Amino acid sequence: MEKGHNTTFKRYGMVIDLDKCTGCGACMVACMQENNVPFKKDETDKIRSITWIRVYKLNNGKPYPDTEICYLPRPCQHCSGMGDHGHSPCVSVCPATATDYGMDTGIVSQIYTRCFGCRYCMVACPYHVRHFNWWDPVWPEGMENYLSPNVSVRMRGVVEKCSFCYHRYQLARERAFVQGRKDIEEHEYQTACTQACPAKAITFGDLINPAHAVYELKNSPNAFQLLERLQTYPKVYYLSDRLWVRMAGDNYLEEEKREMAQAKIKR
Amino acid sequence: MDSDLIPKGVQRCSLGKFLLWISACGFVLAIGVYAMILCWLKGLNQTNMNDAYGFALWIWADLAIIALGGGAFFTGFLRYIIGIKELKNIINYAVLIGFICYSSALLILAIDIGQPLRGWFIFWHANVHSMLTEVAFCLTVYFAVLTIEYIPLVLENRKIDKIPFFHNLSHNMHEIMAVFAATGAFLSFFHQGSLGGVAGVLFGRPFGFREGILIWPWTFFLFTWSAAAVGPCFTILITKITEKVTRKKLVKDNVIELLAKISGWMLLTYIIAKLIDTYYWAFHTAPGMGLTLAQFYTSDPGSVYGYWILFLEVVIGGIVPALILVTKFGRTNKIALWIAITLACIGICTNRWVMVLQLLAMPVMTFQSWFTYFPSWQEIATTILPVAYGAILISISYRYLPIFPQERELNPIPGEEAEVETVEKEEKKELATGDLSPATETAT
Amino acid sequence: MKLSRRCFLSFSLGTTVGITLSPLPWKITDDLSIWTQNWPWTPVPRDGAYSLENSACTLCPGGCGISVRKVDHRAVKIDGMKDHPVNDGGICILGASGLQYLYGPFRLPSPLKRVGERGEGRWKNISWKQALTEVSEKLSEIRSNGEPEKVAVISGKKEGTIACLLERFLTVYGSPNFMTPSTVEDSYEAALHLMQGSRASVGFDFENADFVLSFGSGILEGWGSPVKIFQAIGKLKKDGSVIQVEPRLSNTAAKSDRWVPINPGTEAAMIMGVAHVIIREKLYDENFINTSTSGFQKYQSLVMEDYSPEKVSVITGIASSQIVAIAREFAKASKPIAICGRGEGRIAGNVHETMAVLALNALKGNFNREGGLWSVPKPDYIKWAEAKPDQTALEGLEKGRIDGAGSKEYPFMTSLLDRFPKMINEENSYGIQALLVSNANPLYTMPDTEAVKKAFEKIPYIVSFSSFMDETAQFSDILLPNPIYLERYEDVPTAAMYKKPVLNLTKPVVKPLHNTINTGDIIIKIAKSFGGSIADAFKWRDYETCLKETLGAQWEILKKQVVTEDKNFVANSPALETNAGKFQFVADDVNKSQNSKAGIPHFEDLGINGAAGNFVLIPYDSMPLSTGYVASAPFMLKVVSDKALYHQDTVVQINPETALILGLKEGSYANLETSVGSARVKVTLYDGIMPNVIAMPSGLGHTAYDDYMGNGKGVNINQVLGVVEDPVTGLNAAWGIRAKFSKA
Repeated sequence: MEKGHNTTFKRYGMVIDLDKCTGCGACMVACMQENNVPFKKDETDKIRSITWIRVYKLNNGKPYPDTEICYLPRPCQHCSGMGDHGHSPCVSVCPATATDYGMDTGIVSQIYTRCFGCRYCMVACPYHVRHFNWWDPVWPEGMENYLSPNVSVRMRGVVEKCSFCYHRYQLARERAFVQGRKDIEEHEYQTACTQACPAKAITFGDLINPAHAVYELKNSPNAFQLLERLQTYPKVYYLSDRLWVRMAGDNYLEEEKREMAQAKIKR
Repeated sequence: MDSDLIPKGVQRCSLGKFLLWISACGFVLAIGVYAMILCWLKGLNQTNMNDAYGFALWIWADLAIIALGGGAFFTGFLRYIIGIKELKNIINYAVLIGFICYSSALLILAIDIGQPLRGWFIFWHANVHSMLTEVAFCLTVYFAVLTIEYIPLVLENRKIDKIPFFHNLSHNMHEIMAVFAATGAFLSFFHQGSLGGVAGVLFGRPFGFREGILIWPWTFFLFTWSAAAVGPCFTILITKITEKVTRKKLVKDNVIELLAKISGWMLLTYIIAKLIDTYYWAFHTAPGMGLTLAQFYTSDPGSVYGYWILFLEVVIGGIVPALILVTKFGRTNKIALWIAITLACIGICTNRWVMVLQLLAMPVMTFQSWFTYFPSWQEIATTILPVAYGAILISISYRYLPIFPQERELNPIPGEEAEVETVEKEEKKELATGDLSPATETAT
Repeated sequence: MKLSRRCFLSFSLGTTVGITLSPLPWKITDDLSIWTQNWPWTPVPRDGAYSLENSACTLCPGGCGISVRKVDHRAVKIDGMKDHPVNDGGICILGASGLQYLYGPFRLPSPLKRVGERGEGRWKNISWKQALTEVSEKLSEIRSNGEPEKVAVISGKKEGTIACLLERFLTVYGSPNFMTPSTVEDSYEAALHLMQGSRASVGFDFENADFVLSFGSGILEGWGSPVKIFQAIGKLKKDGSVIQVEPRLSNTAAKSDRWVPINPGTEAAMIMGVAHVIIREKLYDENFINTSTSGFQKYQSLVMEDYSPEKVSVITGIASSQIVAIAREFAKASKPIAICGRGEGRIAGNVHETMAVLALNALKGNFNREGGLWSVPKPDYIKWAEAKPDQTALEGLEKGRIDGAGSKEYPFMTSLLDRFPKMINEENSYGIQALLVSNANPLYTMPDTEAVKKAFEKIPYIVSFSSFMDETAQFSDILLPNPIYLERYEDVPTAAMYKKPVLNLTKPVVKPLHNTINTGDIIIKIAKSFGGSIADAFKWRDYETCLKETLGAQWEILKKQVVTEDKNFVANSPALETNAGKFQFVADDVNKSQNSKAGIPHFEDLGINGAAGNFVLIPYDSMPLSTGYVASAPFMLKVVSDKALYHQDTVVQINPETALILGLKEGSYANLETSVGSARVKVTLYDGIMPNVIAMPSGLGHTAYDDYMGNGKGVNINQVLGVVEDPVTGLNAAWGIRAKFSKA
């Protein structure tokens, strides 16, 4: 399936190096600013707080002083679903076709004006990437001045989620078109979180294009994905040289965990 | 005062008493309506739902009342398709209960969505792959069928029936009722199933996910089956409650026992299927996703989602009532029957509960913990709303419509015996001709 | 015609059927859904012409370059500036939130004058003319009373033209009291002065180091220039290793190759223990020690006598074998760096600890070279004609500083802000009549909030130049708002703890939103209003002219490319400017009266005060919580963990073992009490912290700004923290405090 040179067929994805991520949250804020994400006076109730990318704090479950922690930023995984037909957990269940799988980019979109807020997609997503607008988005007086026209503001009662900054892809395509180019370069389309990351832990690009950095990175022996066993086929990869972190990416039975630990010793 | 409206040959309480009862229910209803309006005007922030609990109390209530309302389609199926004549004495009530359940379910859905004014997009922009689309279509159409089934009942009101147009309409509708009943039963098999599919297709949610045949996960069939099994139990339960409240016998024991027997065998077969499903899910599906049954039923301190809930669902709410109902003793002993139908209803509600709430409470990503949720008063009020609404509709229907064909026979009023005889005669006639019209004083 | 019932019924039925079949209901349904898609109360961002403008960020001392994306005249996004020597396209969480400060409603719209009680929050809009006249009159009144020393300035910035203008004004006015908040950099500066004789800032070349041994320094918690450090540590982790010695598993510890828990406050003993092993096993750079240092013998004998791994193990709780192993790793590395400090470095710390760490670095001679410790000279581009104070001013200046910096007690210190509240409260100082606060929020950021407030209450006139309604502004008498960094020109010299001198220029990328005047212009105007020698020292027409003249040829370059860096910069190798030209293991410029070991690096049990209880409270810093002049923006608060702030409560971390003993569970409330103050907090159980230690997040508990900016959220840690004076520098050495802790 080597379609890397095809100018219209892309599979955008991300590789996040967890050994580099410091959990600082710059990606989250860059995303909020880029995508007009609203905020409330109290955002401490994390299951009612809209964050397209969220940084989780993982620990190895061991008591002091053997404790280790690791941060894991989680954007939308843009699941391809089995066979890459867009049978991602959310797209397949949306009753109104308000979330769609881009066959050309592999990006899972959300159409806010079509969504009627049944939240079935939120229920379907095991990654909790989807957020519901429980409230009307309200900005303190004056702050609506920084809203970007590239991304529409979501009304109350609809679901929203990370779009891999799809508007940046569109702008890059437009620019290339105007300049008479058929394709865009790797650096022309980067997500806001990738760009902001002070630790340069995030790499973004076309997973099937050998010229893009993510192509090689995703094949690292330290690479893993979240909940691969559910057959969601996510397009976000993580890197870590720590086994317990890699094992935290999915559910494993006790004997499987033992096998993995032994395999590591052998390696 | 309203004696003209009350069916002939039956006794009803005084209008004052009736109005008092209606206003009591109305008060509860009003609170529910207020909560509903709050949700519509201010949005779903009025609830305690959150991004982890995208579905919550309401969807559980929806699934539960549709399962319980399954009595309508299954009794209809038995009565009209299979042709079990005795059931005509309870079919009216089953239809009424079904109508209440389904209209409530639709109302709750209308509150539950974030953009109620765009709710029709589910039809306009329908995604045929979505179980919810199937639910919406079947639910709406079946609700229309139930309305059609309920209308002739309304038309049988003494006063309305006097108008020739309505009289004829009612009569003609009865003639073709079998067609609607069959359509309804067919639709119901699908949407009960698709409600099961809602949870079963969630391959990202190991608690709900089930393998299956083609596009249908096992829950699809289990939901239909369980609704068919427990729906009649609920019909019996409501009938029994109505009898308690009115202090009258309204349906003959043989009818109840027949329904209970069918329900019992359905429940028994269902629970066997459910056990097989649980076994396969726990020991084949789950390990394939790296999970064990123990992870589905947390033993975390303070958590409500322990193994007890599985025991409640399968043993107490499934095996026990099934065993009671399949025995003759269980069906004929009043207390045993009460226990069995109550447990069966609890069992199915628990099943719907776990398929909505435990499914969402359970963390899938290894680094998350169980989510907690407690409904807000607005959610509770809007969930009780259908109960009040149901009570009112049942009360009004019972008072003014000939819901129970056997009522007059079972509760003869001294001095009106002659009329009862006539009714009996007509009843025999109907049985002979196979006419679908319930017993009324109007002869064909 | 009589309306029969039948007629009525037919009519109703007909109407119903008619309306249903007409297009009306469908049209209404459609229109309603279109209405929900365009709710008038959901904003629609205006489109326009896109542009990108580079500038510099001033929200922290990091010195990063930024790219501001604009749509017409609105700024819509701040990204990191590509190819900037400090941040190279990256941006930190604070910098990315910049537009919330620009457009926030908590900004000061115009000059304001207090009406009603202080701190009450009632203000009157006044004109700039009136505001400046009032301030000038007040200042000239104090001066004409012959008390110019009673005017003080607290400036958040130490360097750059604004700080220099303020200091210059004070000098010609007649006050020595120019104060700046002290940080760990001051402690390093003092140590560099004592041991290397230089007047320089410290710079760490993490990018090229191969081993970092950090004693509690929160290098990933907002320390130095965060973006630079993040990138450097990422690289270092690949090619080298990092060891973090700290009582708590912080982010820095988590990102290190190894976390070594240590009894809080005993880091200096550990440093000395590591030195002991290196000296004992002769793993140090003998050439450097022999040729470029002095006092090694004295240091060596102290180290050998008191800090054997066994002894250190008892003090620190770290196994002696581990001390030996760490020491060997450090010595084995070709470019190792040892660093100390707590968290992001808000607390200056004990200078003997800083000296101990410099001495440890000296053992490997890793100074002023690739991958080592650098002495970065102070920026020298400001070359104004010397100010000439008149007689009144000279008399004022002679009175000496109120905070004691530069006095016999603390001879080489330039500012000791943390001593300021104490000096005012103790009443044996000359007192302050007027305080000018620029780029600082001392009422929030200084330890022992109650004492600071008490001191401020004694100052009759407080002027704030803040752009925001912060705690200090709220407690001031007159507010002269500065435009924020996206609306003004200002030079931004140095990037905190970066090895090379860089110079940034921040410039107006949007038109000023409010009726503000640059603090530089205000100082020039006020100075001019005095006439005489004061006006003479401020000949510039306005601030922009001053900046242009100061920067000279660089002005145009900076305007174009935002930053200039001396790429070929090499610190004087080995930058040892002591009298002997050597690194001094034993400092001579120290008042030795109190302690025989003063001047020699050593461990002393200092920095914790109060007898309040059996627990030790330590603050912890984190990237989303700003602890400095500006409060965390709404976006940042959104990132704050619910294990640090939950609704209105600060959440403190304790070890599950400690929780068990106290009967506390996850989410329980607890009472925290120190000798300074008390607080009700929630607890979270965290395995990554030593038993009996309580870690409390800093940066919460604002009482000003607005609800979106964390007003009333959590506890300001400074309410329970105190000040411990370092006997040599006078800087605050309090790394924590003893506390009582119990179930609430």
